[in-house]
Amino acid sequence: MSYRLRDHTADVAVEATGESLGAVFAAAGDGLAAAMCEAPPATGDRFELSVRAESREALLFDYLDELIYQRDVRAVLPVDNEVTVRAADGEWVADASARGVPLSAVSAREVKAVTYSEMELAETDGGWRAYVVFDV
Amino acid sequence: MTTYDAGDVTLHKVREFVWEIPATGEMGVPARVLASESLLDEISEDKTLEQLRNATHLPGVRNHAICMPDGHQGYGFPVGGVAGIDAEEGCISPGAIGYDINCGVRMVRTDLTYDDLRGREEELVDALFANVPSGLGGGGIVEGDIDTVEAVLDRGLDWALEEGYAVREDLAHCEDEGVRYDSDPAKVPQKAKDRGKNQLGSLGSGNHFLEVQRVTDTYLDGVADAYGLEEGQIVVLIHCGSRGLGHQVCTEYLRDIEKAHAGLLSRLPDKELAAAPAGSQLAEDYYGAMCAAINFAWVNRQLITHRTRQVFEKVFDADWETLGMDLLYDVAHNIAKKETHTVGIGSDGRPASGGDATDTEERELYVHRKGATRAFPAGHPEVPEAYRDVGQPIIIPGSMGAGSYVLRGGEESMDRTFGSTAHGAGRTMSRTQAKQDYWGGDVQDDLEQEHIYVKAQSGATVAEEAPGVYKDVDEVVRVSDALGIGDKVARTFPVCNIKG
Repeated sequence: MSYRLRDHTADVAVEATGESLGAVFAAAGDGLAAAMCEAPPATGDRFELSVRAESREALLFDYLDELIYQRDVRAVLPVDNEVTVRAADGEWVADASARGVPLSAVSAREVKAVTYSEMELAETDGGWRAYVVFDV
Repeated sequence: MTTYDAGDVTLHKVREFVWEIPATGEMGVPARVLASESLLDEISEDKTLEQLRNATHLPGVRNHAICMPDGHQGYGFPVGGVAGIDAEEGCISPGAIGYDINCGVRMVRTDLTYDDLRGREEELVDALFANVPSGLGGGGIVEGDIDTVEAVLDRGLDWALEEGYAVREDLAHCEDEGVRYDSDPAKVPQKAKDRGKNQLGSLGSGNHFLEVQRVTDTYLDGVADAYGLEEGQIVVLIHCGSRGLGHQVCTEYLRDIEKAHAGLLSRLPDKELAAAPAGSQLAEDYYGAMCAAINFAWVNRQLITHRTRQVFEKVFDADWETLGMDLLYDVAHNIAKKETHTVGIGSDGRPASGGDATDTEERELYVHRKGATRAFPAGHPEVPEAYRDVGQPIIIPGSMGAGSYVLRGGEESMDRTFGSTAHGAGRTMSRTQAKQDYWGGDVQDDLEQEHIYVKAQSGATVAEEAPGVYKDVDEVVRVSDALGIGDKVARTFPVCNIKG
């Protein structure tokens, strides 16, 4: 799995790839962290989160929104994301965890929100590719 | 007819600085771009025009969807976009307002002159940086609990006045007197309140900042007098919004609207434009929540003003009233408001625009301003009494290395832009590119050579906000002035700047 920060006039875009849906979600989460901080230290405890949505794309949106929410209420930068995505009762569920680096330990910029603008989540020959624009 | 070819979009010149994209396909109305050719060259480089055209697909857009001279690509609706959407037959779109609800700017006057400040810039910038929370996780000026957040959402600057963070004159010099009475805190999601309670009185990061400036020029002397501005004077500019609270309000309503109004969404070219039809429960709920977030942002800027006054008191050893630190004005950038405007109607009595309009009528609209400033002219009843004879102040922040401007609402704004003008310089370079081209420390050193003292939580923020990443604010203001939508009153230049 990997991510790249892509050019966007005012905001930041993340392009992520992964062998599975979970891997591409995690890579997008790591891209979100990289948009806020270049080199976070190896500190912080892991925490878990779970998100449920009506489609895979909506699930990606809600998962990234949840990371931003957890950042603000826990005062941590979520890094080293791990995600498993599964179908359940006609919906999609992401069971995830992240290492929360205390914001007091980093010099980080704020990403305000995830957007649907230009969002892509598509299956490729090697797995999955996602493209997400974040409001900065 | 003069045209401008921007790839698959051709713009027709209507008059000097007014370009129109005719309504074709599913576009409900034409779109207009207010720009000089040099600004249009920049505007047409990214997806601004495509996003503007997409916005005309929203039901109930009247007259034209309009891009201000500082417009640039955003998400869904472009930044610098204005749309007057029928409040009975149209819709309200959170994405066409923006995540940072009531991101805005205020200017605080002082009686200090640049000579009073020279030699003490570093002391002042250090004191401001140490005392005004900024960046990620920096907390807020008020340690809020949920009850505090609810009161702020409900009463805006009335709350700040009751708690001693504002004086009555502050309210009299703020858009809507700092309170949206249509607010409904019960409609603000719990997660939004959770995010907001630790951020009440904080700048955030990105393009938000607090800047001490000196007035370098005044243009309309009678108006500058009414605003209390003169050359050499020190003023303070504060730029921030509703923090995580507003972002979460937008996010959650976007998702709720996506689920509840999928039919409308399927007819829109961009999912980020998701809109609740006028009269629907979600339109009412979102409007109440958005107005509450607007109140939160006004209190946020007021708390920073209060703290700034305290810092100046300490540094200059005089109380803030003696220093003349009155609020000049506070303007909102990312909002929707129910306002009554003149719209075109056709021979069948239905709303129409361009050549199809044979008459006009007054309609109540949700005026969406995303990265655009209200610009009401002299005489408008919603301009505060203090400025009603001269027009509403408009504050246009430039980059750290360029001037900012104070304008006044122009005579043409109601007819041309639903009473709106630009909100800033507008970005022209991406943040990722900026970090490749600039290094924060170098930018700070260069600015210090020009006697501009910058202090930031993150060097990367300084690089991302380097002066070279913005459009030419002088040109943006020149177009606004020439179109008569916002007239040039004064120019300021940075002295000290703090950011996240």
